[in-house]
Amino acid sequence: MDITNMMKQDITQRVYDAIEKAKQLQPQLNAVVTFVDVEEQLKQLEGIPSDAPLYGIPVVLKDNVNTKGVLTTASSRILSNYIPVYDAAICEKLKAAGAIIIAKASMDELGMGGTNLSAYTGWVHNPYDTERISGGSSGGSAVLCAADVSPLTIGTDTGDSIRKPAAYNGVIGVKPTYGRISRYGIIPYASSLDHVGYFTTTIQDAAKALHVLAGRDDRDMTSSYEPVPDYEALLDQDIKGKRIAIIDNVQEAIQDKAIVESFNDLTQKLEQRGAQIEHVRLNDDLLSVLLPTYFIIANAETTANHSNLDGIRYGVREDGDSVEEVMINSRTKGFSANIRKRFVIGSYSLFVENQDKLFRKAQKVRRLIVNEVKAVLDQYDIILTTAAPTIAPHPQDSVDEALSDTYLIAENHMIMGNFTGYPCMTMPCGFVEGMPIGIHMMAKPFAEQTLFNIGATIEAETGLKGITAEVKA
Amino acid sequence: MEQMNKAYFQKLARQLMFDVSDEEAEQLQEEFEILNKQIALLEKIDTEHTEPMIYPFEAETTFLREDQITQTISREDALKNAKAVMAGHVHVPKVVK
Amino acid sequence: MNYETVIGIEIHCELKTKTKMFSGAPVSFGAVANSCVNEIDLGHPGTMPCVNKEAVRLAIMAATALHCEIDPLVKFDRKNYYYSDLPKGFQITQQFHPIGSGGYVEIETDEGKKQIRLNRIHMEEDTAKQFHNEEGTLIDFNRAGTPLVEIVSEADMRSGKEAAAYVEKLRSILNYLGVSDVKMEEGSMRCDVNISLREAGSTVFGVKTEIKNLNSIANVSKAVDYEVERQKEILEQGGTIIQETRRFDEAQKATVSMRKKEGNVDYKYFPEPNIPPIRLASDWIADIQAHLPELPDQRKERYQSEYGLNDYDAGVLVNNRELAEFYDEVCAHTSEYKLAANWTIVELTAALNKLNVKPENNPCNPLHLAEMLQMIKEGTISSKQAKIVFEEIMQGKDPKQVVAEKGMKQMSDGNELLKLVNEVLDNNPKSIEDFKNGKDRAVGFLVGQVMKASKGTANPAMTNQLIKQELAKR
Repeated sequence: MDITNMMKQDITQRVYDAIEKAKQLQPQLNAVVTFVDVEEQLKQLEGIPSDAPLYGIPVVLKDNVNTKGVLTTASSRILSNYIPVYDAAICEKLKAAGAIIIAKASMDELGMGGTNLSAYTGWVHNPYDTERISGGSSGGSAVLCAADVSPLTIGTDTGDSIRKPAAYNGVIGVKPTYGRISRYGIIPYASSLDHVGYFTTTIQDAAKALHVLAGRDDRDMTSSYEPVPDYEALLDQDIKGKRIAIIDNVQEAIQDKAIVESFNDLTQKLEQRGAQIEHVRLNDDLLSVLLPTYFIIANAETTANHSNLDGIRYGVREDGDSVEEVMINSRTKGFSANIRKRFVIGSYSLFVENQDKLFRKAQKVRRLIVNEVKAVLDQYDIILTTAAPTIAPHPQDSVDEALSDTYLIAENHMIMGNFTGYPCMTMPCGFVEGMPIGIHMMAKPFAEQTLFNIGATIEAETGLKGITAEVKA
Repeated sequence: MEQMNKAYFQKLARQLMFDVSDEEAEQLQEEFEILNKQIALLEKIDTEHTEPMIYPFEAETTFLREDQITQTISREDALKNAKAVMAGHVHVPKVVK
Repeated sequence: MNYETVIGIEIHCELKTKTKMFSGAPVSFGAVANSCVNEIDLGHPGTMPCVNKEAVRLAIMAATALHCEIDPLVKFDRKNYYYSDLPKGFQITQQFHPIGSGGYVEIETDEGKKQIRLNRIHMEEDTAKQFHNEEGTLIDFNRAGTPLVEIVSEADMRSGKEAAAYVEKLRSILNYLGVSDVKMEEGSMRCDVNISLREAGSTVFGVKTEIKNLNSIANVSKAVDYEVERQKEILEQGGTIIQETRRFDEAQKATVSMRKKEGNVDYKYFPEPNIPPIRLASDWIADIQAHLPELPDQRKERYQSEYGLNDYDAGVLVNNRELAEFYDEVCAHTSEYKLAANWTIVELTAALNKLNVKPENNPCNPLHLAEMLQMIKEGTISSKQAKIVFEEIMQGKDPKQVVAEKGMKQMSDGNELLKLVNEVLDNNPKSIEDFKNGKDRAVGFLVGQVMKASKGTANPAMTNQLIKQELAKR
């Protein structure tokens, strides 16, 4: 149910219904880490104008969004007892808009992963087929939106962590421009790639949500001064003359015929509505190094970002005879093997003797990739691609962000949105084998309105506006 | 360069204040083999006249925070997540260094 | 063999700001443990740094006074290491782009003025404070995140004396600027000294040791002198110096080893992704530079050119900023500059010592001292009387009132004094005899007798003149 329709219901009823539904689905989906007490929040609504955009709307936060006084674990053992002493900037924005936070959603440990299999509370199940994964790292949030628990759930996206699960779960996933939404209070993964975003089931809700969440925050020095338009009021389905680029290298790499067909079908419809569709190619050499470039930068930044997790001031502290031992024991037990291995790789690439060859090299290649994308967007309004090359896989078939010998451009192309910081959105465009599939759009910096406008057209064409999953018991 | 054996990775892990098991160190060895192949691919990209990209947007800011007290948390909040507290301080076993 | 001592110094100074370098929590010395912190200082997950404008302003002032070149594009980097006093597991500092580079500090040496070159001055954040006891370590995070500047010299110093002079001069400059409390004993200024010896004439550096935590300037020179001798002894016996960190033990008056340096630690510096480059407005920088307070060298120069003080007196005053400021205030009320300097340097310092009061708590009202100096000048009171008046001024009293109360008026009435002089001459015929026989010191004796008879109130100059006049008549 979208926000507009939900607004018609009784406030207390809808909030408690949402919690009830999440609780009922928890055994099948395992998407929630912590349920949040809403009583006090409902009382505080009295101080908020009743026409606030999210007045009394139940929302879900990914568990890396700090909530004062409410357990925030980032799905990691080391933070499994952490009670934040402050609220993330977006919590303040959501509360001011009248939103009621009902739950903290599961994620890949510290955001590092694309499957949600690494969550400390166990993997999250896809509401369309609980044998399949949700995708990650914002898996819990994607699933709770897709299962119609909440019309707006918050996620974060460092390397497609909103957009991939959105595609797998048939919801809209928005990763706005870097700096559009404050990151203050979001437990980081890799600072230069991290974005705050969200899931909705309609474009209208997506437009509404960005207006609430976006804006300059002095606590995040990278947050933007760019004015925040009223995206919802400015929604316009007329896409005549819009220039849309399709990346052939990406599309050619997709092997699932049904997914290719669905994509081609959609582009034809957009053309019929007056959009100009053109095919472009990106430099193959650059595309082939997308993943190592990402892997090196992300791991380097994350090893530093998580050096604060030592069990001393907060988090799970393991005993030891000296403070060094306490730190070593806490960090060894506190992080899963995968995370520790990433830290080792990240640290290795930062050594003085390796930086030129690894970290700085990756940062240089990042610039070349960004230039390549920018050159396309200088000519076009959006870049349109298939979001994911497959439907949500079963856990044993899933591929993660880990390095691989094989060329996985179809799987990884969305991380270009993190390199560039440009706004991106995935949305459902059909079903294959009963599972949702999605398309992905990227626009010029701060041109989220373009994404919403073209998205609204696509929504009209696909008829998938507000679609949610019926979870089988 | 040092040999990338298990001991090497275990040493790197120690510098990061954690341990990796023998098995994990072996996995790291394998991952580094892949990484080195990927680095070889990266090396083929000509970046001679390219500066590292540190931020997605490189516009300079002029913003600096005014020197006014904005947030303080209570002493209770500062200490409440610490496992051991003594006399209003965070308490840890002796620092060896 | 002849050895040359090579010394480089790193100094950390806490900047006098209201809030931390990257957070809006208050900076305060001596507050209750963990009461001046917020989530940023504690390195809680999700926190982000936000640069303090005042810290940048103070750093610009310091960089300017030290003749550094200022980089108007401010950037920060992460220095990665794990320690329980470092909440984030990295320190935010300016490794790659310090706010100031180059520059120098001019010191006085036995061979004259010498410039000690600076490598850089950069901004960074302080760590938490740890207390060690039998039960373990206690951590107070109040200091964590306090703004610091680190000033790194080139290895230009050649003796303990030069090292001490450098630290003293730097401290004085920063103190005059008002950018830091520069209290070494309280840790608001911390000094690490790198020392090595090399064969005289050689251009290669020897193995160096680093002496940490020197808590006074006297200890800087003592520690260096000790360390130089220690290294010399080792080298002369054919030994090698071990690269290590040492500390100065006051009781032993010796440097003792703290830890060996196992190669160079790799701090894996990389640019801080959460702080974009900050462009400082050129007119803001220019404005800060144009309004720099008077620096010690400038003040000394002024004391010599405007007040006619000699090099020594000007130096003594300038070396103590509080004293110099007091002196300036006195000079605002009198033109007896030299007299004012003497009284400030000698009598005031002695009085403060006697009262056991620090110059910053000086109870003396500069206007009162100026008035007293005027009375001396005009002959209203004698120098001897002035000392008594001054004691009362130090208690907060008005000199006019003291003089009136004690009936201290100097006897300057010609007739009265003439009467007294003739009485004295009458009673000392022997002295008149001596004078006539060419013994000039008889005059001095007679003046003394008049002073005695007047209980010290006779105007000495007038007395002298009258005695000579009356002697001539006899």
